[in-house]
Amino acid sequence: MVLTLVSCDQKPTLQKYFVEKSQEKGFASIDLGTGFLKADKLKLDAEETKALESMKKLNVLIFKSNGTNAAEFDKEKAKVKDLLKTDNYDELMKVSLEGGGMSVNTKGENDHIEEFVLFLNRKETGFGVIRVLGKDMTPQNVLTMVNLLQKSGANSGQLKPLMDIMKTK
Amino acid sequence: MKKFIITLLLAVLPSLMFAQTNSAFDKFEKDGVDAVVVNKKMFELMGNVKMDPKDKSAQQYLNLIKKLDNLKVFSTTNNKIVTDMKSTVDGYLKKYPLEELMRINEGGRAIKIYVKSGATSSQVKELLMFVEGGGPKDSSVLMSLTGNFDLSEISFLTDYMKLPGGAALKKASKK
Repeated sequence: MVLTLVSCDQKPTLQKYFVEKSQEKGFASIDLGTGFLKADKLKLDAEETKALESMKKLNVLIFKSNGTNAAEFDKEKAKVKDLLKTDNYDELMKVSLEGGGMSVNTKGENDHIEEFVLFLNRKETGFGVIRVLGKDMTPQNVLTMVNLLQKSGANSGQLKPLMDIMKTK
Repeated sequence: MKKFIITLLLAVLPSLMFAQTNSAFDKFEKDGVDAVVVNKKMFELMGNVKMDPKDKSAQQYLNLIKKLDNLKVFSTTNNKIVTDMKSTVDGYLKKYPLEELMRINEGGRAIKIYVKSGATSSQVKELLMFVEGGGPKDSSVLMSLTGNFDLSEISFLTDYMKLPGGAALKKASKK
């Protein structure tokens, strides 16, 4: 009882939002460990190994628009935006263009980034929140990972819903 | 996956070119306005990324990025918002006087550029540019950039990113 009260007292975090919403209708979630890269099959150089080690997992939460849930889209989008502010993320940048937008946020000091959050939204298709969790991630590590993903040809089927959101126009 | 990454990169790169710094302009982040905001932390992180040392323009680009603090760009075709932008810029200049660097009319567009100079005349701490579109389809652009940079570097950036007003800035830096 006491524990419940205490946990209710704590302010909402993006983590909690993920857990809550992944069960709800209209949402989809993907959790990937870095193992999905099948890195052992690739020959990694020192830098790539380091980059891979700096990351622990990837969480993705997707809200799909279906033409009738615009109000819900607005509500949930506002919630995520709010969480990014109240949950102590540093906003690196944001872009908003007709009908959609994206923002990049991080948690952690300087080069010791613990979390990258990419927030993409597009009214017609929905929104996606991508969290990359790790320890001491650097932008260089992230770029290395991107290359690695391309090299490994990671199973894009898992990430397809995400790409659908990214498709513009 | 590739497509996603390319889209991501495309989304990130142009945003580097557009941005504004002062909260006075934050109200333009709304429907009907295309906005790009890049904060200091992003510039810091980007500045640490390794690029091909042989690629001179990439190196120049990196050097410049390290000197930037904040970039905001707002672009709209909505007349009401354009009027609001105009009065906001006027009000801002009254509050924080900036030096008018140049004023150009070309092809129906009115471009005004203001700067706050740093230690030397070519050093700039703040740059404010307002481009008023000439017609209903010609968008107006408000851009604010802060940091500690050289005017000539900015024209390089606008060229690199194909930002509006690049030609005007180039002329300005040669003065």
